[in-house]
Amino acid sequence: MLTGEPSPLLALQGVSKSFPGVRALREVAFELRAGEVHALLGENGAGKSTLIKIVSGVHRPDAGQLLIDGQPAAFASPLDAQAAGIATIYQELLLFPELSVAENIFMGHPPRARLGAIDWQKMRAGAEAILASLEIHDLDVSSLVGGLSVGQRQRVEIAKALSQNARILIMDEPTAALAEADVVRLFGIVRMLRGRGVGIVYISHRMEEVFELSDRVTVLRDGAYVGTRVTAATSRDELITMMVGRTIDQLFPKSVAKLGNPILELRELRRQPLTRGISLTLRAGEIVGLAGLVGSGRSELAQVIFGITPAESGEILIAGEAARVGSPGAAKRLGIAYVPEDRGSQGLIRPMSLCHNVSMAVLGRLRQGPFVDQGAEADLAERSIRQFNIRASSRDQVVEQLSGGNQQKIVLGKWLATAPRILIMDEPTRGIDVGAKAEIHRLMSELAAKGLAILMISSELPEIMGMSDRILVMREGRLVAEFARDAASQEAIAAAMMSDDAAAAEAGAAVPA
Amino acid sequence: MSTASLARGSSNALGAQLKRLVGGQEMILLLCILAIFLIVGSLNPRFIAERNLSSIFLGNAYVAVAAIGMSMVIISGNIDISVGSLIGVLATISGTLAVNGYPIIVAWLAPLLIGVLVTGFMGYLVAYLRMPSIVVSLGMLSILKGGLISVTSGAWISNLPAGYALAQLRPMGVPMPIWFMVGLTILAAWWMRYTAAGRSIYAVGGNAEAALLSGISPRRTVMMVFLIHGLFVGIASVLFATQLAVIQSTVPPNLELTIITASVVGGVSILGGAGTVIGSTLAAVLLAAIGSSLIFINLSPYWLRAVQGALILVTVLADLLRRRRQARRR
Amino acid sequence: MATLDAAAKKQGKGWQPALLRHEVLLAVILVIALIFLAAQTDKFLTTGNLLNQGRLMAEVGLVALPMTLIIVTGGIDLSVGSILGLCAIVLGYSWKNLGVPLPLAMVMALGVGTLAGFANGWFITRVRVPPLIMTLATLAFYRGLAEGISQARSVRGYPDWFFQLGQGDVWGVPTQLWILAVAVVITAVILARTPFGRGLYAIGHNEVGARFSGIPVDRYKLIIYTFSGAMAGLAGVIFVSRVSTTRSDMGTGLELDVIAAVVLGGTSIFGGTGTMLGTVLGFIMIQLLKNGLALTGVKGDATIVVIGIVLILSILLTNFIQRRRSGNE
Repeated sequence: MLTGEPSPLLALQGVSKSFPGVRALREVAFELRAGEVHALLGENGAGKSTLIKIVSGVHRPDAGQLLIDGQPAAFASPLDAQAAGIATIYQELLLFPELSVAENIFMGHPPRARLGAIDWQKMRAGAEAILASLEIHDLDVSSLVGGLSVGQRQRVEIAKALSQNARILIMDEPTAALAEADVVRLFGIVRMLRGRGVGIVYISHRMEEVFELSDRVTVLRDGAYVGTRVTAATSRDELITMMVGRTIDQLFPKSVAKLGNPILELRELRRQPLTRGISLTLRAGEIVGLAGLVGSGRSELAQVIFGITPAESGEILIAGEAARVGSPGAAKRLGIAYVPEDRGSQGLIRPMSLCHNVSMAVLGRLRQGPFVDQGAEADLAERSIRQFNIRASSRDQVVEQLSGGNQQKIVLGKWLATAPRILIMDEPTRGIDVGAKAEIHRLMSELAAKGLAILMISSELPEIMGMSDRILVMREGRLVAEFARDAASQEAIAAAMMSDDAAAAEAGAAVPA
Repeated sequence: MSTASLARGSSNALGAQLKRLVGGQEMILLLCILAIFLIVGSLNPRFIAERNLSSIFLGNAYVAVAAIGMSMVIISGNIDISVGSLIGVLATISGTLAVNGYPIIVAWLAPLLIGVLVTGFMGYLVAYLRMPSIVVSLGMLSILKGGLISVTSGAWISNLPAGYALAQLRPMGVPMPIWFMVGLTILAAWWMRYTAAGRSIYAVGGNAEAALLSGISPRRTVMMVFLIHGLFVGIASVLFATQLAVIQSTVPPNLELTIITASVVGGVSILGGAGTVIGSTLAAVLLAAIGSSLIFINLSPYWLRAVQGALILVTVLADLLRRRRQARRR
Repeated sequence: MATLDAAAKKQGKGWQPALLRHEVLLAVILVIALIFLAAQTDKFLTTGNLLNQGRLMAEVGLVALPMTLIIVTGGIDLSVGSILGLCAIVLGYSWKNLGVPLPLAMVMALGVGTLAGFANGWFITRVRVPPLIMTLATLAFYRGLAEGISQARSVRGYPDWFFQLGQGDVWGVPTQLWILAVAVVITAVILARTPFGRGLYAIGHNEVGARFSGIPVDRYKLIIYTFSGAMAGLAGVIFVSRVSTTRSDMGTGLELDVIAAVVLGGTSIFGGTGTMLGTVLGFIMIQLLKNGLALTGVKGDATIVVIGIVLILSILLTNFIQRRRSGNE
């Protein structure tokens, strides 16, 4: 600033934030200039979401300062942040399906006519003008948002941000759910906005996007600031090292296990809309990694196998025998366990105790006559605490007070208590700290060595590559590629995920028939 | 796929606009009303005689007016099951004031004020103290109902002063209840469709978190809805009180259910976030027509409530199935 | 009571200390109310009066038990009063007008109640109608059926043996109080000690999480709504026996008393917390309130006002305690 440069649009200095049981941010610094795309990089749980929630006024920092144009600012609510010219596009788009495109764009600040009435003429014209300025000509401002595609809805969100004259635009994994064509359009829009002097905070997991789009990159790890680089002057390897803090080999200690008989076989499994004829085989002792973009149908497949949304057609064979999985209860009896993607809402009953959560899936077995055998239940909880090294004050502690890693171990403990033959893990290490991550990976390795068959869904390619014996790639509800452990490369997997079949084939993928 | 749907979208812009203004549900209701008049009228011509028609419309206009406020409450994601009791209490207050020599204008306006106070209190508990509206209004129901009966013992209020009978006036030859029903419906429909405050009700009911992040305060919106609801309940109670020469100081049986039914049958989504007051008014008329037609086809009026219950069930199911189909199409 | 207490204490460990406090608080208030009422009038603290109050309490109590289970899962059943009325009419109509033997008519009444509850549960679990709306609709529909079947005519002239259920005593204690006591113990143990009960708490806290844990959520819900209908039917038969007559408006407003009792007993309307002990204290409290007010000269309808106020205040109190507790963390 001494050099006479203008003050950055946005600056964070020494920002810290804690939640009960979690230290989300520790003295983080960040700076955004006008006309810059600044990528924010970090693994899940690194603190990116907390950071943007502080900038957009959802959370208040415990310590540190937030500067807008060099002036200290304190936001009491998202409204204050909006007034300061900050607009955020969240991962789950916050639109109103029952309202029109124009109404959504001007939600909260519609143009007024007399009597406080909305000036619909002006609103429609305004919405059309904003869309036109983004070179979006294929959206009818009076159609309902509920009928739009994901890409279209995102463009509505961007238009909404611009209608508030946003100078700072935060985009949280904007490409996560987009099809290729929509991604290209999004990039065009982002570049256009940059040209107009808007500062853009761009959060993404995908290295390619970071290099394609951003001017600078800031990396966070475990809630701490690691560093900021000029994109053109850094490399993928440097960034990965900054993000992970160690090399891949240390993190993923998968030992090669002896493969046994097929435990799970799927034949032409179908369930609309996102399971479109899936066939695969999973052997005892094998870890199969399932890669794909968000929305490619991986979790949907897991939920079909687990009976939450039973298959409409096709066959499931468990250890060679045809099985009907009509409900999670049936899946459980067949020896299938599912550690779901969303711990908070799917994996755990957060207001209940550790003990009650661990026993949740085996209450039917922990019985003394018709009653829950509370002694056996307590034993189980204590065993799990020891076995998985769960850090809790006692087995009666409410799980929502525990850290993400410990919560995940409880989910794992709950399902391993059912003594499953097949374990499906959906994003097993999302949002947990590096230490717990390593523990869970070690555990997976041990379980596989004991003959458990594991199907692991992950969006982190290093995890997929480090842990899997075999890698399957899903796209639009189908399996599109299969890699042996040794033949896989990040580029080839990513290409298969992103519908670039030619490149994937070139990189050595076997496209399953 | 997206381009195809887009092309469809823009070519149908006018159609969509039209459809949105009238809405599918409103059209269906209108057809149902016509069908009932035609069918029952052909079975028994007395059904469409002027006397019966006026009793259907005039006698139930207050239900339609109360259903407007109720629709807003339901669209905002709440419910008020004390509304019937509140109408009973307000009508009694209005009549008592009139009989005891207070100026007629006071007897007309006091229910509005008290209605707003009562629903404002409920709104405060719901919006700011985060109490569930079902329990709050359940408690309020018993307070109002018990209070009314224990004070008045259900006595009849008669000898109402001349000039009090608002509902019996006919400005420009059109009965007052029709003026109110039509006027308030149009006003409320306009307000909900064309003002920021009106739209915010849909936003809060549809997705409270998103509304908050868009700078709309769900609390203030819910509070506002309850206040407006009180105003409509107050007007409805005056129409109710002034339509006959006497007022029975009790709670009209099942009134809350009739009002909620009108809202839901009118297309107000029970899950919040959608619906129009034009639909609820049409539904109030439809319900009245059905109730009346049961008498004219010689079905015992004791079956009326069973039919009402069945009707609300059918419409709720239809609404749920419609939404599910919509969700699948996405 | 001792087993109940122990069960509640087990439940109360860890995640429900405030709830236990709520029940202790309620018990203390109850004792104070007893002392106060006894001091007000010497007619109150007599064995005769207390047993008679127990008799009057049985119907609300029987229906409050399944209602606790339902509210623990985060649901609600507003149709219980109408189911009670419908069952009363089925009993009277089938006996008087159809000539069905009375014991069979009683079974039919219970069957119709069970069926009515099953219908609620079926629509709630299969068609996913929100419980509030579903049971609001059947509140009207079942009452409508009762009115339609009976054409608002009452039935009298039941044989003497039938009154044993509602007016008789067994070992000096009203018959229906024995039934209530047995039902309380069974449901309390089911809620506190069985996998089924644990599943209900899990559903109330997080339905998706419960489903993902392999708990048969829909089956559990279907069971409790069906149970609710069955108990409303039983309460209906007892009601008819107690008042010697059948009318179609029987049980009107019952849902209010029942929900007030459950909520007063500390069960959160949002689901996940609550014990049977609390509910028992809740409905005893409401009955004593009614009795005490009546004895001190307050008319019947005014007591409804008090119940309404108590209902709102008790939720305010629970909210306040919860907020303070979460503030402490």
